[in-house]
Amino acid sequence: MIVPARHLDASTLIGYSAGALPTAFAAVAASHLALCASCRAHLDEADAIGARLIEQQDGASLPGRARESLRERLASEPIEAPVAADAAPRDSDLLPAPLQPWFGERYSTLRWRMVAPGIHMLRSGDGGPDGQLLMLRTAPGRRMPMHGHGNNELTLVLRGAYDDALGHFGPGDVADLDSDIEHQPVTSPGVPCISVAASDAPMRFNGWMARAMQAVLRI
Amino acid sequence: MPKLSAIAASKVTPLHGASRMSKALAHPAPDALYWSGQMARVAAHADVDCFMRIYDHFAPRLNRYLLGLGLAPSQAEDLVQESMLRVWRRARSFDGSRASLATWLFRIARNLHIDSLRKASASTAWPDDGIELIPDDDADLGTGTSAPEAFADHVGLGRAIDALPAGQARLIRMSYLESKSHSEISGELGMPLGSVKSTLRRAFAKLRRGLGGEA
Repeated sequence: MIVPARHLDASTLIGYSAGALPTAFAAVAASHLALCASCRAHLDEADAIGARLIEQQDGASLPGRARESLRERLASEPIEAPVAADAAPRDSDLLPAPLQPWFGERYSTLRWRMVAPGIHMLRSGDGGPDGQLLMLRTAPGRRMPMHGHGNNELTLVLRGAYDDALGHFGPGDVADLDSDIEHQPVTSPGVPCISVAASDAPMRFNGWMARAMQAVLRI
Repeated sequence: MPKLSAIAASKVTPLHGASRMSKALAHPAPDALYWSGQMARVAAHADVDCFMRIYDHFAPRLNRYLLGLGLAPSQAEDLVQESMLRVWRRARSFDGSRASLATWLFRIARNLHIDSLRKASASTAWPDDGIELIPDDDADLGTGTSAPEAFADHVGLGRAIDALPAGQARLIRMSYLESKSHSEISGELGMPLGSVKSTLRRAFAKLRRGLGGEA
């Protein structure tokens, strides 16, 4: 069982709780939250804060007929049996559920595009207000292209691991970075590293290879 | 249903709830234990009167929240009704030992709002495939539990909100009550993105202390 060691920033949790994260970021955050009891506990707190803010406000009255029509509907609305948590063992070929609308269901059917030897990439989303997602698969021991961040970026390691100036990132770990960080991750030996990154601005890649990739992918 | 009747038997009467409140603070505040008791009766007996008490307290507040997010009055009214119906239908999934009713309702209204935005937008990135990005219930997130919010009375949280420095309070409100992204806040206030995030981080640490969590 994966126990992530690197977590969501408090500002990201607040944005998620408030429903204010661009959807690409929310998808990455949700994928991490599904694995991370510690961040779920913090999210509960963030939700309690939202609830308290709403309860503190004075209500805006609703028309009396709304109350009556709801009351009448209750008679024909059964109370459902509680939903049991899905305890089925997870198929390791399945992508995290929040990423499936972006990339499809399975790792085995991803249609990778090679952008450089040992580096494959996939992009989803138009980079509008919803942001975009990049999935990157890097061969063991490879240096990923150097990049900085125009704006926000939220990265989740799905498989394998990498190291960069900030430390070691394994499966389930998130790198929740501020905009001024430029880094060059190196994939750990053993298995390829697959990671997914949400961004709300084009990444800036440095070097000729990176510029070539940028041209190919229009990122 | 022995389990449910056990919950119902341990219900809290309004009187009990009220005495607990007056002990805790001078001005009246909603009481998580009281509302959990009302929900237990809805779950066990489909008690319409209890449910309407919940409606009378929370529905106008949800309405205010949704209007604040920029919804037209008719849309807000529809989403309030939908939220309250979900509370009724899923009453038996509510676990007052894990989250307060207020928190559960906030999640439901927020999620319905996100769903409605997603349906309205032309974005192809989110086919309407029924995947809930933010589940209402922890059960939907699979195994592993989060720390129970339990019957944390939120008096401390309310105080912590009131005590926030103006700048932090403003960003917290823009986030929750206007659903503004960090970039939007940064743009509107002419504040660097990094400062928006660090301000929210500091505010969260203070509010967590109000909740009784260690910062």
